[in-house]
Amino acid sequence: MHTLTTGPWTPVALSADLPVGTVIPARIPAGSIALWRSESGRLSASADRCPHRGMSLSHGFVRGENLSCIYHGWSYARSGKCVRIPAHPGLEPPEAIRAKTFAVEEAGGVIWVATDEAATTPPVLEGLMPLRSMTTSAGIAAIEAAAGAKATAEGLVVPAENADTLCLLLSARDDGQTLIHVLLKGETTADSRIAASRVAESLRRAAEDLQKKGIAA
Amino acid sequence: MKLYDYILSPSCYKVRLMAALTGVKLELRPVDFHPGLEHRGLALLALNPAGSIPIIEDGDLILTESSAILVYLAAQAAPEWLAGTKPEEAARVQQWLSFSGRLTANLGGARLHEMLLRTGDIDALQAQGIAALRELEAGLVEQNLRGQRFLAADRPTVADIACFPYVALAPDGGVSLDPYPAIRLWSRALRSLHGFVEMPGIHRLHELKPEPTVEESKA
Ligand SMILES: N[C@H](CCC(=O)N[C@@H](CS)C(=O)NCC(=O)O)C(=O)O
Ligand code: FES
Repeated sequence: MHTLTTGPWTPVALSADLPVGTVIPARIPAGSIALWRSESGRLSASADRCPHRGMSLSHGFVRGENLSCIYHGWSYARSGKCVRIPAHPGLEPPEAIRAKTFAVEEAGGVIWVATDEAATTPPVLEGLMPLRSMTTSAGIAAIEAAAGAKATAEGLVVPAENADTLCLLLSARDDGQTLIHVLLKGETTADSRIAASRVAESLRRAAEDLQKKGIAA
Repeated sequence: MKLYDYILSPSCYKVRLMAALTGVKLELRPVDFHPGLEHRGLALLALNPAGSIPIIEDGDLILTESSAILVYLAAQAAPEWLAGTKPEEAARVQQWLSFSGRLTANLGGARLHEMLLRTGDIDALQAQGIAALRELEAGLVEQNLRGQRFLAADRPTVADIACFPYVALAPDGGVSLDPYPAIRLWSRALRSLHGFVEMPGIHRLHELKPEPTVEESKA
């Protein structure tokens, strides 16, 4: 079993995949979260469960500085506090109605979420430029085998055949899937970025092959 | 121009969406697809021996392939939805139009299995659907790296409309869209187009709708 020591921090998504005014689903060891960015660009992470009837908040939408639930439109501020109940526009929602929230940090184009109230900061990834995120049904060991390289404590794998250009940031999920953030090293051009994306696809295919054959188990 | 239509059919929705986006007026002729299987009855088989919908009837022109129908609508009303003169762009449009047929088979097959209890190997359909979504995701990532937001160009074309409905409805067939950030952004871009219309399960961006207000009931 691989324990990656990013502390309480999980790299959940790339900044570019979460534009202002949008919400996306993501996962941390504590469960599913709704990750969202307000119109003014502020990031938030909350449990993916509406305190009203349990609808996934990641199915909701961002309006201004709040996240609204798709089901009955209850709206939540960054703090998780419910700020609006459309069926009762005159009512100031009680303090007790709160979505659980998590610490969230963004650095170098990667968004990290902490499982508990974190005093630490997420790892710093020097000189790496995010390209894309992909999910694979292979585990860390199979990805390491496909890449011909071991993961560092932060979950970074430098594939042996592409050591000058590519670096994978891995995050194991509780469902056996692994989230891979493909990062690029050094100067790149549009052509080299497209090539790197194709290399990453091939690595994923190889890792899933190994996983299926049980070689990595 | 008459469309033989079924509200829950993603293939018919392609046609309604294209018509709405290009301002073409359609006469809708509802088909009792389920439970009536009207599309397999003699009257409709006379129009389309393949027994599928959508069918377009315009004068003596009968079209039974959604990709051809999209091209027909665009060529009449909004040629900017067709491929331009660049060979690469023309080829990409054809590439994704053909690909859209695979989406109908795998994601569409999974959806029919889950929603209308059609027979089929659901595991295989879902696995093929996931493979297709990965291919689409990779294609969109590459397009973004070329500075283009849509499948064949930096503007939407018939190829985007051909692929969009079965992708957006993948969860109906038990296939999650969570793992595909580029598909998510592409879907948002399409759903925010001027003139976009909905179908059950595919919604306009809610944030673009006015904030709902309810009068507090007076007891
Ligand atoms: N000709 C294809 C067929 C589209 C298609 O598969 N349509 C479905 C409804 S969404 C259908 O009619 N299926 C026949 C059936 O399942 O009986 C197209 O226009 O893209
Ligand atoms: S479940 Fe979220 S508002 Fe009702």
